[in-house]
Amino acid sequence: MSRQRDAPGPAESAVGDGTADGGSPYAASSPSEVAAMLEAVGVDSVEELFDIPEGVRFDGQFDVEGASEQAVIRRLERTLGANDDLTEFLGRGRYAHYVPSVVDTLSLRSEFITSYTQYQPEVAQGFLQALFEYQSMLVELTGLGVANCSMYDAATALGEAALLAARVRSVDGSRVLVPDYVREERRDVLENYVSGTDLSVVSFPTANGQVDPVALDSTLSEDAVAVYAENPTVEGVVEEHLHRVGELAEEYGALFCLGSDPVALSLLQSPAAVGADVVVGDASVLGVGPAYGTSLGMFACDEAYLRQVPGRLVGCSEDSDGARAYTLTLQTREQHIRKERATSNICTNQAWVALRTAIHAASLGPSGLVGLAERCHRLPERVASEFDEIPGVSAPVHDGFHFREFAARVERDASALAADLRADGFAVHVRDEDEIQVCVTDANEHRTDDLVRSVAEAMA
Amino acid sequence: MTDRYEQAVWDDGESDGYEPLLTEKSLARAETDNSDLPDRLTRDALEFPAPSEPELVRHYTRLSQMNYGVDSGPFPLGSCTMKYNPKFTEDVAAMSEAAVHPDRSPATVQGTLTVYHELGEYLAQIGGMDAVSLQPPAGAAGEFAGILVARAYHEHNGDGDSRDEVIVPASAHGTNFASAAMAGYEVVELPAADDGRVDLDALRAATGDSTAALMLTNPNTLGLFERDIEAVADIVHDAGGLLYYDGANLNALLGRARPGDMGFDVMHFNVHKTFATPHGGGGPGAGPIGVSETLAPFLPTPQVRAVDGEYELREPEHSIGKVHGAMGNWLVLLKAHAYISRLGDAGLRDTSAKAVLNANYLAEQIDLEIPFGPFHHEFVASAGETDAAEFAKRMLDYGVHPPTTKWPEIVDEALMTEPTEAESRASLDSLAAAFAAASEAGDSTAPERTAAGRIDQTSAARNPRLSWHDLDP
Amino acid sequence: MAFDVPDGLRYAESHEWIERRDDRFRVGITDFAQDELGDIVFVDLPAEGETVTAEAAFGVVESIKAVSDLYTPVTGTVVTTNDRLSSEPELVNEEPFGDGWLVELTSDDDLEHLLGPEGYRAQI
Repeated sequence: MSRQRDAPGPAESAVGDGTADGGSPYAASSPSEVAAMLEAVGVDSVEELFDIPEGVRFDGQFDVEGASEQAVIRRLERTLGANDDLTEFLGRGRYAHYVPSVVDTLSLRSEFITSYTQYQPEVAQGFLQALFEYQSMLVELTGLGVANCSMYDAATALGEAALLAARVRSVDGSRVLVPDYVREERRDVLENYVSGTDLSVVSFPTANGQVDPVALDSTLSEDAVAVYAENPTVEGVVEEHLHRVGELAEEYGALFCLGSDPVALSLLQSPAAVGADVVVGDASVLGVGPAYGTSLGMFACDEAYLRQVPGRLVGCSEDSDGARAYTLTLQTREQHIRKERATSNICTNQAWVALRTAIHAASLGPSGLVGLAERCHRLPERVASEFDEIPGVSAPVHDGFHFREFAARVERDASALAADLRADGFAVHVRDEDEIQVCVTDANEHRTDDLVRSVAEAMA
Repeated sequence: MTDRYEQAVWDDGESDGYEPLLTEKSLARAETDNSDLPDRLTRDALEFPAPSEPELVRHYTRLSQMNYGVDSGPFPLGSCTMKYNPKFTEDVAAMSEAAVHPDRSPATVQGTLTVYHELGEYLAQIGGMDAVSLQPPAGAAGEFAGILVARAYHEHNGDGDSRDEVIVPASAHGTNFASAAMAGYEVVELPAADDGRVDLDALRAATGDSTAALMLTNPNTLGLFERDIEAVADIVHDAGGLLYYDGANLNALLGRARPGDMGFDVMHFNVHKTFATPHGGGGPGAGPIGVSETLAPFLPTPQVRAVDGEYELREPEHSIGKVHGAMGNWLVLLKAHAYISRLGDAGLRDTSAKAVLNANYLAEQIDLEIPFGPFHHEFVASAGETDAAEFAKRMLDYGVHPPTTKWPEIVDEALMTEPTEAESRASLDSLAAAFAAASEAGDSTAPERTAAGRIDQTSAARNPRLSWHDLDP
Repeated sequence: MAFDVPDGLRYAESHEWIERRDDRFRVGITDFAQDELGDIVFVDLPAEGETVTAEAAFGVVESIKAVSDLYTPVTGTVVTTNDRLSSEPELVNEEPFGDGWLVELTSDDDLEHLLGPEGYRAQI
């Protein structure tokens, strides 16, 4: 089964050349240091230290030529410059908000960014405290007692929530209920996460963009381990039936898992108040922009499930001087101790993003957070009504309240409309042949008038 | 020399700990009745820290000063490859053109897709694989995705139900076990032979019609190259199973050996290890997977394909679906692309050379027993009479981060040590001095020169206090 | 190191002890086991009324660094569990044969197949 790629040119032995030509610029030893080390080890060349049998040695070359830092940057600028410079009115689970400069300044401090998981807490108090504060912020925002210090993204956090539900539910069950508006990608990940179990993912109908409690009631059964709903939904709708979802979930013994984000949670109904058992979502709405999907999976839950929580937890303790100090705790849940019986396989997480989220949230403070959330409600409502004034456009599609985004029905091929908007420098979602979705936040608010004008022209 | 290390500590004397919590510095309450939403749809109020910007900056600056990173000093954690993180990659990641929304139509983000495609090609070459998916956001996620690919392959061939076991060596990383279990497999633990490598007889006994895959790291966690890897591959393949490569130790092999050439069918890369992206206090990383041509149809969706001179997103024919909500940890992948572009073929090969030389040199300088060899980029020493965890605490007082402790279990009081190519000779000497000092010290109250003293793990676990809400007012 | 191995008890190879007390059996883990585990932080016990099968796992004991299954030496029904352990798991370390007991069961089994103190002492 040999798939050796034969590349042109002879193999090069690179040791001894130092960084001068072809060596790694990030390998610290100079040629003379290398020579001294070889002597200390008792070999003439480093090749002697490799115990690789002939049959599997690679003597080819990779088709990658090294380059100077300047050249790499220039090349990447050119490559990435091929991306169209559009003003994005895109959301559907990934949102842009202005990220203040302090977030970069502080998170990029090398003691933070070049550090590792805090397995030696005595030298990692800085990051541990920052993560403890992040966890605390999620506890405040969700009203639930426990939050972990990160998962990968909203979709994988939802997957983990389903697995937790199956573990903790005292009665056996096999269905995970999700609303029919859930993003296909999110559902796909969820299905992969439960694919190693007996669980199956089932849709329940929604009405007017929100949970239809009657339909949910009839879809629910004793067999359900979890019910998932979003607030705001991926279509930007503020969910008005959360209490009912909580009641129904409790009635059928299913866990109520709510999808949201820290900005929304600053204003909308508290998950604890509506009976949510678990909250998941993407917390990187604060701290990072859309970043082509680089995220931060938020995970918080009721204290009752503490020992089943996936991911790392930072706890408070004392050091030998009696001072309050922080440490990773309850590690017996995790893979490095519990192996195949761990609550999750997660190891590397999104900790550095969580640091950024915490810094961003702290820089906003409660009034900044609430104020930003209020804007997230007012902006789409205003722009939707402006869209509605345009002949051939009807917005918003869903009755009710909106957060960051809204859907609009158009009497034109929606893809063609989107193409015209693209030509004018705007990106919107195409949802259907006759429906688009538009996301408005503080990040693109300054261009909404231009967008409305562009839509009007395109519809005329 | 190393005797002068003292980590900064901020202790304001007023709060219970060192640097106060944000909430201890300022706490404010914001009401929500100003919003246009009806009261029934909003929370009552939000109580949250409200520092001024200068206070915020001092808080996190002080926290950073109580934190040790690779830029502070050596960080020889075995199998973690804590190497230098090139700073220019941060500037690359900060390029505004990089910050596009994942729902942008492919035609409008040809730059991003070019980087994806190129990185996939680089990794395919480096790993000796035919196709790569960049989607898994961490190594463990890559393992999960790779095992799902294996499972899909077996299901496609009609023996998905009967092949319900994944074999994992006893010395393997915990994620291997957990990932296989998450994918629904029974995990069969394989003990090592006396020389620390895979025991071929035990492997033969463990493989059969129930075998879906064998997961291996090579070099293994003892730093040993599995000399019989071709025989291992034959045994697994003859039984109808697939061979999975855990890429954690790839730093030892760059440019010298490739998993694909050894017979591995599927592998993951740890981009935050081998390709120098920063660990960021626990993440984010990325765990791209590489597969042979046979398995390519099962890769996660979407793949970036070149079609008529443009890049498009395509769903592989029998794709397992998605393992991340979007395209993975893009910012991390971008940094890895920049690193590989910078180093090039020669730089990568120099990396493995210096990584292996540094480990061998360091081993030469320390006095502890290293029961297994010949090792490559990492070695496992024994702390001997001393408890390995205790040994590690002593090392902290010498300005170094200690090695990984108590794993693999085949070595008593294991100290798994991987200096990486980034350490200079002087740095390795100071690391060796820290080992020596830790050996000589008796039972101690170490660490004493770190920001915090030794932390009570027992009380943290017995009385979990996981947020500031759990603390006494 | 000399571990406490009291007379009057029977022992399982998996380091549980069992004691006949009137109409029921009391089960715990041995001094050796608690020492191996280190500081115990959590004990997960079955519910009262649950049936348990000999040599099957019926619960879990956790320390900071390890997790260990608890195996019942006999088949039977759980009558009571040691409520104090949820707030004082350290009792298992401090008094593994006393206040650190885990569960009490009713069972029709006899204890002949289990190790006596000498047999267990030899094993550890």
